[in-house]
Amino acid sequence: MPVSKLNFMSIISTNNLSKEYPSKSFSKEKILALNNFSFEVESGEIFGILGPNGAGKTTLIKILLGITHRTKGDIKIFDKDIADESYKMKVGYLPENHKFPNYLTGEQTLMFFGKLSGMNSKDADARTAEYLKLVDMEKWKKTKIKKYSKGMLQRLGLAQSMMNNPELIFLDEPTDGVDPIGRKEIRDILINLKSSGKTIFLNSHLLSEVELICDRVAILNKGVLVKTGRVEDITAVTNDYKFMTSDLDENTLNLLLSKYKAVIKSRNEFLYNSPDTEEMNKMIDFLRGNNILIQSIVREKDTLENMFINLIEKQN
Amino acid sequence: MIFLTLMLSTFREAIAKKIFLGFFAISTLIILIFLFLINVDSVEGMVNMMESSGEEGIKQLVIGFQVAMINISYLLIITFCLVSVSSFIPSMLEKGNIDLLLSKPVSRTNIILAKFSGGVVLIFVSLVYLIGLVWLILSLKSGFWHVPFLYSIFWLTLSFAVVYSLIIFIGLVSQSTVLSIIISLFLVFIICPILSVREEVIFSLVSNSTVQFIINFLYYILPKPSDINKISMNIITGESVVSYMPVYSSVIFMLAVLSVSVWYFRKKDY
Repeated sequence: MPVSKLNFMSIISTNNLSKEYPSKSFSKEKILALNNFSFEVESGEIFGILGPNGAGKTTLIKILLGITHRTKGDIKIFDKDIADESYKMKVGYLPENHKFPNYLTGEQTLMFFGKLSGMNSKDADARTAEYLKLVDMEKWKKTKIKKYSKGMLQRLGLAQSMMNNPELIFLDEPTDGVDPIGRKEIRDILINLKSSGKTIFLNSHLLSEVELICDRVAILNKGVLVKTGRVEDITAVTNDYKFMTSDLDENTLNLLLSKYKAVIKSRNEFLYNSPDTEEMNKMIDFLRGNNILIQSIVREKDTLENMFINLIEKQN
Repeated sequence: MIFLTLMLSTFREAIAKKIFLGFFAISTLIILIFLFLINVDSVEGMVNMMESSGEEGIKQLVIGFQVAMINISYLLIITFCLVSVSSFIPSMLEKGNIDLLLSKPVSRTNIILAKFSGGVVLIFVSLVYLIGLVWLILSLKSGFWHVPFLYSIFWLTLSFAVVYSLIIFIGLVSQSTVLSIIISLFLVFIICPILSVREEVIFSLVSNSTVQFIINFLYYILPKPSDINKISMNIITGESVVSYMPVYSSVIFMLAVLSVSVWYFRKKDY
């Protein structure tokens, strides 16, 4: 199938997905971990799932992978209901705080999980070498896992999730415990995977990271889908423009404050809230009429983190 | 292929946890003691004495040794095996491990069956080493190649498999290695032997028919490793086996417990 067509295909879709857990106390009340959750992940995108602790993110991933059972709702992966487990042949997964058998070496671990994914020994062997190299773990391949650091385990975990050349990869906190350089390397791997047509479903607490690599995100709170959309759409929420100019004289500064309600940052910088293009042009005319040189005008963007915090605070 | 990989992982885990090493150390020690025993002067003298009393005497001596061997195996080896394999399921269910396993294209039924088969094959191989070597030594020494002794490999493996199925179930429900060990040892060495002699001992002390019914009920539904061991010894000594009911009922118990384990594992959220 051509890539252009694949890009419009939904790889994951859920409809009114709900999950109830029995209460741990003796009460009959149930804990609603997911409440009528409906969303879609398109082929070839990096999709981020965000939410505070206990929002239902990991539950969602576990349900999609058949580790936890849904209470109700429809789930389709590769256009088939997940009751048909054959989709797992085309899926990779890196769980949060994964635990590999610590008596295995890095190489044996990849071989083991490769074979569990349905690969034959020859293919598993070839892929093991390839992915150990990719995650820069070649020189540790004969070392027992119990001697690995957290960062090394994450790299190996990432390699494990790619072993069967999956079309869809679920990553739960993939950069947890990894240093900044390692995080950058993992980001690069994910971007490369995306460019080769893979779909990545990412759960990460590092919102700056999500903002850097995700195409779309869904925000979950208390089991409910609060917001979903493209990262640039949900972060570009203000009409504030930052003006960088030549030195502003006292008269101009006073007029900016009183007439235009601008927020003065310095003699060369101010913020102006422009409701429309006409008002923006009036401001430019005003500045130019006062012989002020405009160096740049940049529309202010909210960070994903700010947007997320504001949204969750409003919800709670 | 996936099933085999899972089965072999049980072997690998056993090797890593030094279970194989421990088993072979114990087995080798038993074999060495055996070698020593059959070469000491007093036993040598006994052999000579038996030889003088004819072929039948030799046979009786060999069978005596073999029965002793089975009792030792039953006590020592089964205990060691049960303790060793009790951690297989709880360690598989550890968070981070089970998630990964269940995300792979392998059914939950196959995971349980592979763990079960892996454990059983592991013990079978270990018993082949111990019983097979003892049989070889005794046969070479005596010239009496008593094949029924080798059947005890099967009977001991069956006894283990029956209790192992219960260990799997307890491990799945409790996720506790300690609880699995306690319950399995309690069942094998206390409950089953007591129930096995219920008519001779308990019923002579308790005449209440309801209590007798309950005890009988427990006897028939629970596995009977000690009775299977008795059948194994009867076969070695050439005595007739009165009933194979303990075998049938234990196999039914094993299949039922495995089915319940699979059902529970398939339903459970991790």
